[in-house]
Amino acid sequence: MASAYLTHQQKVMRLYKKSLRHLESWCIFRDKYRFYACMLRARFDENKNEKDMVKATMLLKAGEEEFWANQHPQPYIFPDSPGGTSYERYECYKVPEWVLDHWHPSEKAMYPDYFSKREQWKKLRMQSWDKE
Amino acid sequence: MAARVLQQCVRSLARPSLGLFPVNLALRAAVAPAVTVHRPFSFAADSRRMRWLGQSRISSVELLCRQYGDLPPLTLETIKDRVMYVLKLYDKINPEKIQATSHFMKDLGLDSLDQVEIIMAMEDEFGFEIPDAEAEKLMTPEEIVQYIADKKDVYE
Repeated sequence: MASAYLTHQQKVMRLYKKSLRHLESWCIFRDKYRFYACMLRARFDENKNEKDMVKATMLLKAGEEEFWANQHPQPYIFPDSPGGTSYERYECYKVPEWVLDHWHPSEKAMYPDYFSKREQWKKLRMQSWDKE
Repeated sequence: MAARVLQQCVRSLARPSLGLFPVNLALRAAVAPAVTVHRPFSFAADSRRMRWLGQSRISSVELLCRQYGDLPPLTLETIKDRVMYVLKLYDKINPEKIQATSHFMKDLGLDSLDQVEIIMAMEDEFGFEIPDAEAEKLMTPEEIVQYIADKKDVYE
């Protein structure tokens, strides 16, 4: 999105997602989680047609406070996301793209399809770079 | 003579199939003093031992290289199949009506909270997180497949 401010809908969606994730960390058994997730969804749904923005923001604020009070101390974080175990683990092994130009021709001959197209991609990039 | 004794040791160690690397280490540790003591014998003993080792193990070459565990590689078709499978399991979607290009909000009449649930199901399926900023833009299964292929470096 363009601006840094989130719309009310986006805030509600984010609250819903993180509350579901923390609920999943609390209720580890899938059927129990499913039950409480449906209860949570019902609570979100009963207020969703609120037209008064003031009241809607008050409800959102109450929801955020309830989330903060009930959050899990060690929620399940996916390995590749920030805070997870594998976050930026292979960052030191990632090599920039211009290194491919410095390969020896005998190494480049091992991947003829890629390197034959690479020149065209570079030309395309030179042409369209100024437009972007 | 010591080499022959060592051969006996290696033969007895070789019987259990597991513990290949300790065997090699023990072998190397044993070879070092043998080489220093029996200089004219060492070459023949080493070559005999290595040749015998190479023949005795059923799959020594494969065992000598490491075997890592990993999931089968992703292709565009497998990603699309998995995405459609998960979507058909969702109870608010009619499995006959879902297409690859059906929009969640316009064609299927889902809510934004439903879309959040769908994206969470995709995260659980593929095992990596889709950040909120990009998740709210994914509105068709086709876009989801494209996004996952972008993130996982899958191309044809």
